[in-house]
Amino acid sequence: MTESHLASPRTYVISWLLLLGLLAVSIASAFVPLGAMNVAINLAISFTQAAIVLLFSMHLRAAHPTLHLVAVVGFFGIAILIALTLADVLTR
Amino acid sequence: MASAHSAFAHQFDDARQQREASQLGIWLFLATEILFFGVLFAAYAVTRINHPAAFAAGSRLTNLPLASLNTAVLLTSSLTMALGVHAAQAGARRMTVNWLYATVALGLAFLAIKGIEYGIDFKENLVPGAGFGYDGPGRDQVQLYFYLYYLITMVHAIHVLIGVIAIAVIARIASRGRYSAEYFTPVDVTGLYWHLVDIIWLFVYPSLYLVSRS
Repeated sequence: MTESHLASPRTYVISWLLLLGLLAVSIASAFVPLGAMNVAINLAISFTQAAIVLLFSMHLRAAHPTLHLVAVVGFFGIAILIALTLADVLTR
Repeated sequence: MASAHSAFAHQFDDARQQREASQLGIWLFLATEILFFGVLFAAYAVTRINHPAAFAAGSRLTNLPLASLNTAVLLTSSLTMALGVHAAQAGARRMTVNWLYATVALGLAFLAIKGIEYGIDFKENLVPGAGFGYDGPGRDQVQLYFYLYYLITMVHAIHVLIGVIAIAVIARIASRGRYSAEYFTPVDVTGLYWHLVDIIWLFVYPSLYLVSRS
């Protein structure tokens, strides 16, 4: 039984450092007045961090395709929920 | 009954198939958790779009240093959890137990720091209601921000608490040598839950604490 899909400790430590680095960037960016860009930067950093955790810590990178589908369905569900809600709120 | 034959239940062809079934199960649960928090984020988005200035004002009243420290604590707990799962996969019992208890300690540290933060909020009367301690412009809308602040952070904290309990139970079972390189599914799926709770916080943190700091 090959369980090669689990990453090495080195990968976990590198992603941890990346995540902390991105946290520092998000804190620093919040102190720069950029208007709407602040929200865009925060969201971009959050999604990047989430991708790192999903792909490496949660092993989605090498997981069974069924798991990819289930994970995507969860996030896609949120996207529909928020997009359609905002389609109403933003166009009143 | 920890013989090689009982490494997987009889309805499965092999241990690998059993592991994949467990992973599918936990991922389905995680998808519902994503949707569960999605509703809170939708409520947040609508309220913030309607009251942008109040959200900026409310966000500035929160404790950024403690929240940032907590984010680092939670990210580190995800690292120790990943190392715990890795040790379990290698069949290293002592290492598994140690990493799992390290994760429990970091999870408890997160809850303690959050508790201190709530304590400071309460002292400043930043609780929606008659005695709300903020008297600036948009007082009512800032209360809406704090209503969502408590709802989202408390629901998240409950998830952290459940995770801490689950990991502590798994660590105890692991210390009795019940897991091996062939069977460590409970460690694996508990880890997946913990990482998701971490991911949710990575969205909660900028949404509540970094609305406007400049």
